[in-house]
Amino acid sequence: MKERAGKLFSWFNTRLPIINTFERHLSKHPVPSKVNFWYLFGALASVTLIIQIVSGIWLIMPYSNTEEEAFSSIEYIMRDVDYGWVIRYIHTTGASMFFAVVYLHMFRGLLYGSYQKPKELVWIFGCTIYLAMMAEGFLGYVLPYGQMSYWGAQVIISLFGAIPYIGESLELWVRGDYYISGITVSRFFALHVVALPLVLIALVFLHLVALHEVGAGNPEGVDIEEFVDDDGVPLDSVPFFPYKVLNALVGIGVFMTVFAIIMFFFPEGGGYFIEMANFQKANPLVTPDHIAPVWYYAPFFTMLRAIPDPLGGLIVMAAAVAIFFVVPWLDRSKVASIRYKGIYSKIALTLFGVSFLTLGYLGTVGVTEVRKIMSVICTVIYFAYFLLMPIYTKYETTKEVPKRL
Amino acid sequence: MTNKSINLYFCNAFLILALSFFFNSLYAAEGGPCKDYGECDKFKYSLNDMESLQRGAATYINYCYGCHSLKFSRWGRVAKDLQIPEDIFFESLVFDKSIKPGDLMAGAMPEDSVNWFGVAPPDLTLVSRYKGDDWIYSYLRAYYEDSSKQYGVNNLVYPGTAMPNVLLSLQGNQRLICKDIAVIAENGGEKRDEYGNTITKEKCGFLEVEEGTGELTKEEFDTLIYDLTNFLVYVGEPIKATRERIGWYVVFYFLIFTALSSLLYREYHKDYN
Amino acid sequence: MQDKDKTRRKVLIGLTSAVGLSGLPFAATPFIAAWNPSAKAKAAGAAVKLDVSKMQYGQQIQVSWRKQPVFIIRHTKESLASLDNSLSKLADPNSDLISEPYKGLYPTRSKSSEYSVMSGVCTHLGCAPKYFPEVEPKPWDATWSGGFFCPCHGSMFDIVGRVFKGVPAPTNLVIPPHMFEGSILTIGEDKEL
Repeated sequence: MKERAGKLFSWFNTRLPIINTFERHLSKHPVPSKVNFWYLFGALASVTLIIQIVSGIWLIMPYSNTEEEAFSSIEYIMRDVDYGWVIRYIHTTGASMFFAVVYLHMFRGLLYGSYQKPKELVWIFGCTIYLAMMAEGFLGYVLPYGQMSYWGAQVIISLFGAIPYIGESLELWVRGDYYISGITVSRFFALHVVALPLVLIALVFLHLVALHEVGAGNPEGVDIEEFVDDDGVPLDSVPFFPYKVLNALVGIGVFMTVFAIIMFFFPEGGGYFIEMANFQKANPLVTPDHIAPVWYYAPFFTMLRAIPDPLGGLIVMAAAVAIFFVVPWLDRSKVASIRYKGIYSKIALTLFGVSFLTLGYLGTVGVTEVRKIMSVICTVIYFAYFLLMPIYTKYETTKEVPKRL
Repeated sequence: MTNKSINLYFCNAFLILALSFFFNSLYAAEGGPCKDYGECDKFKYSLNDMESLQRGAATYINYCYGCHSLKFSRWGRVAKDLQIPEDIFFESLVFDKSIKPGDLMAGAMPEDSVNWFGVAPPDLTLVSRYKGDDWIYSYLRAYYEDSSKQYGVNNLVYPGTAMPNVLLSLQGNQRLICKDIAVIAENGGEKRDEYGNTITKEKCGFLEVEEGTGELTKEEFDTLIYDLTNFLVYVGEPIKATRERIGWYVVFYFLIFTALSSLLYREYHKDYN
Repeated sequence: MQDKDKTRRKVLIGLTSAVGLSGLPFAATPFIAAWNPSAKAKAAGAAVKLDVSKMQYGQQIQVSWRKQPVFIIRHTKESLASLDNSLSKLADPNSDLISEPYKGLYPTRSKSSEYSVMSGVCTHLGCAPKYFPEVEPKPWDATWSGGFFCPCHGSMFDIVGRVFKGVPAPTNLVIPPHMFEGSILTIGEDKEL
């Protein structure tokens, strides 16, 4: 019996690189032996992607993508479909968890210089994933067709209108109608359900392949490839399976605990994950008191609001995301990890983190004079972190990086 | 990062965030959700109190359903969730005998109701989710006499509301009055004049029900509104009580799983330390 | 590695796997259950109630249940008495080939001695058979003693829906679960079943 199974397996294995791929990318793939919890967020991001796809597929089944029925179909899912509410809350919680995990994952990159040579392309693929995620999240939020879906879409689509010359036609073209309508909803549906998920999957695949080509980093910024044994396996590495898999398992346990707490006890997240206004059907004649995006867009929304000119706001907002792409070339430091960088980098990163969080908070509350000033200050700090990086990373005194982990 | 610099980092971060919150509260934007009423009264739902929900459902059907539909809710489900036997429920609360248990609570208002009130009475299935329970609880108790308005009433929580005070006969006639309030001195005590009498100042904007004009006492009326709001919380998300109940088990499961996988990880971690 | 450690590993792997795998059926439940008929489907497919006391003898009415026609016939005494006359024409007079809920109860094949309740869907390819209660020669049967004729491919059934021999339809018309409470007929639900 076992022999038969073995023969069947080798029939496949001669035609598909099963064992080879498994060893190269899983069981024997060398990863640095000493990493910390910051290195778990990549795996968690993949898990969240899968969760979103599965729950998303199940949501498409009862959802109706027409203007008349979209909103009611959500309540249909919540009430009439057996356990529909579980699937709906998985998807909304998953969206917020996805961004939380990815922001932490990106922060790890800034912390430990994960973008440095030869991982620039890994970083760029990652930034593209982030961009795709922002689009995906926005498109998805329009689908329930609540008040915030409608008015959020109104704000974002009108950004297209701010572009000189082609703006108005572009806005009309994106909407497909003279105002946001069922036509807009159904095309956003296609993009959210098929187009962008395919793009995301492809990008994640490329992100991982690029990573495996050059090898993962570590909190010390040590190049583990420098010291290898007779078989060419780095001395400071461990095989991915079972060690890193078990590590990821713990991370998944914590992640799922947090996920479950949110999903079962406060799925609306106090109005930050599912905004209150979205429990009213879209009404083009009534604007909500506060139009605010979901929390994960808040920092960029603040920047948009801080600049009075629409085109200026759009450019600043776009630049805030675009600047991530060039970080590998802005960082001129000899060392990768914040542990060995100088005091300027440490202050800069702290200020960046604080300003990002503050920008996020400001994006969720109403505008006042003091908050306007704070938004501008934080935006300046945000950009200063990047734009001054070539200077402070080049001229600060760094510590000596050890050779071994 | 070394432990010390991590601590420094977080301390700085929290300090700056705390400062920003402080400055923010100083210059907070005007106007809370309960408008002229001030801060909304706090409401705590109790979705496991079947009697409260049942009373709330009866109040809703008898006083609200005539104008406000609950179009996402189904009759039979309400009976089942509130543990009311279906025949009793249909006998006492469903007035249209052609309605079947599976039907949606589509409401009794005709299409042209917008002509009566200026705005069609909105469907209330989700009102507790987009307005909040605190708001509803406060709103229903904040009506007061106002002869300048179409129906003779106004509402502190929703000034200029087009909705009449349907529960007027139960609550009684509530009015906005001015009261003489004791002036508080700097040391926290009441200010007194040279004869030892408390000095008072007139303050307006208080709500008071005219004695004897309502069928219910203040406590009874507040309980009625509590039950009604409780019911609206239920109808906004019928699965809420179940969701919270299941949640405990799921979180517990994941805590166990995390603990076990942590032990397993540490066991294997011995290999390379 | 010591034996003690080896066992510890085995135990931990076993425990973690057991706990992990035990969660899978619970995780799968919402996704599988979501495919069940929703409350909306159940409402649309709910039982249909009607009062049949005003029906004339020999009259057939048609109601819709789960988007399909259901025939209700109030039989005359004569037509019930002459049911056995066409026995030789029938393929399955006792409904042995199918599982019928009220087999052998009444000649009407239903829960009532007076009314027949049957699905108006021809068991050949699903057309709606037409009701021809008159006992007179018909183009499709010179000795017709009342029944149903399906216009699509010529299948024939007697007055209580039993299929004839030598027609495309293989089985008798299906009897849906139903119940009589006085003169109120409920189709789709039978509290006693």
